[in-house]
Amino acid sequence: MLSDITIGQYYKADSFVHRLDARTKIILTALFLVIIFMCKNFLSLALMFVLLVTSVLACKVPMKMFLKSVKPIIPIVIFTAVINVIYATGGTELVSFWKISITTKGLATAFFMAIRIICLIISSSILTYTTVPTALTDGIEKLFSPLKVLHVDVHTLAMMMTLALRFIPTLIEEINRITNAQKARGADFESGKLFERVKAMIPILIPLFVSAFNRAYELAFAMSCRCYRGGEGRTRMKQPKMKAADYLILLFFVLIIVGVILLNHFFGKIV
Amino acid sequence: MSVTVLETKDLTYIYSKGTNYEMAAINNINLAIEKGELVGIIGHTGSGKSTLIQHFNGILKATSGTVLLDGADIWQDKSKIRNVRFKVGVCFQYPEYQLFEETVYKDIAFGPKNMGLDEKEIDRKVRQVCEFVGLDESYFEKSPFDLSGGEKRRVAIAGIMAMEPEVLVLDEPCAGLDPKGRNVILDLICEYRKKTNSTVLVVSHSMEDISKIATKILVMNDSKLAFYDTVENVFAKSDELIEMGLNIPEITKLFLKLKKSGYDVRTDIYTLEQAEKELLALVERGKKNAQ
Repeated sequence: MLSDITIGQYYKADSFVHRLDARTKIILTALFLVIIFMCKNFLSLALMFVLLVTSVLACKVPMKMFLKSVKPIIPIVIFTAVINVIYATGGTELVSFWKISITTKGLATAFFMAIRIICLIISSSILTYTTVPTALTDGIEKLFSPLKVLHVDVHTLAMMMTLALRFIPTLIEEINRITNAQKARGADFESGKLFERVKAMIPILIPLFVSAFNRAYELAFAMSCRCYRGGEGRTRMKQPKMKAADYLILLFFVLIIVGVILLNHFFGKIV
Repeated sequence: MSVTVLETKDLTYIYSKGTNYEMAAINNINLAIEKGELVGIIGHTGSGKSTLIQHFNGILKATSGTVLLDGADIWQDKSKIRNVRFKVGVCFQYPEYQLFEETVYKDIAFGPKNMGLDEKEIDRKVRQVCEFVGLDESYFEKSPFDLSGGEKRRVAIAGIMAMEPEVLVLDEPCAGLDPKGRNVILDLICEYRKKTNSTVLVVSHSMEDISKIATKILVMNDSKLAFYDTVENVFAKSDELIEMGLNIPEITKLFLKLKKSGYDVRTDIYTLEQAEKELLALVERGKKNAQ
């Protein structure tokens, strides 16, 4: 259950995608998310799907890891698809019973939504699997640094994100440890009604919170001991640099956007 | 002939199977632990000690091989694995982090309550174990989070002992305690075994601690079972232990040095009493030779 959480997990491999600058990957992921919602017909959707599959293959992370990240959201996908089938109107009616009518448009919308959500998860997984969390937050800090003009404390936000990402695996490990310890005392997490199951989580949650707060205090203390005082005048050991490949791939994505717009324009809109 | 209580057959566990991180944590372990022994489990960090003990109560399920408790496969009936956990009580490293209840009493009662016992029986068990670990009634209504480190540790261990398991397994019960706290815990473990006639397994990487209390030693090295033998027999192989990166008791080191310098002494010495006897014998022999 908990080991299924793959957010913020890095998968070590040596690939083209791994070597791209974090900023490039963040922009690409954001662009991908925008484009996937711009797709209005099967052709443009297919183009994006091919792009996604190519990226997945290019990053040399095993397929299994992606399936693992998609698995937990399958219920959401099914739920969204069903809602779309029921509520979408227009198109030819296929079946109708009671107050519900299933139309071609409804089915198409449901299909698009399902594919979009799955693509969304996979594309963000590519980002986290191929980028070490520190590079990721550094990238975010750099990308959002113009916001400093508006007095947004970008550095602190980025630091908070780094810490949050950094502690996901630690907390998962902690949860596993506490769960095992309570299991050893005969705690039962698998049976019972919903209410009982929720109640069974208390022996895990309380020790988890206690240790999470302790960790936070200790970490804050350790950071002050090393004279951490926020982003003002802070320099970096590793200066990220955009290379030719980064600019090329960004250009390639711009072309894809143009392609999608053209496909939308010439082959009609389904949704 | 002693009775075997816990047995493993070709036990292997592989972490993250099928990914880049694949690694055998324990590899083909065959061992039989006799009833009533106090087994010290030692090994280098990452040698597989903790993984091994998590198989004894079915927290982990082996990739291959079986664990037998009283001759029966613990995974024979998956739905009854909880009963195995009441029979093999495992107390993990830093067990004070598992405390969660409002009061010490309730926390210790958590295990027995899960066993489905009635109030009276739970009360008897909790009071008995509290008296045993030296927590008087004034502690019952205290919050476990207000106690000192050593007290928390005792409450947590009491929580496992309260289930009165046939086999008690403790993973690094002395970790992070001061010398006084260590001795309190070690004494408790010995007394528990004497009083209940149960089998006790203690994981530690302190040879000194283990040699003080254990009747047998199990050495793990590089995910494999290196030795499982009496304390003397294991310490007699000091050279191999050192090669595995394990610390042997200071006294044993002394006798190894004596042996190397040409004195004819035994090298399986690990307590002060044994050392005294052996040294006196050496002096006697020396006198005889001089005559």
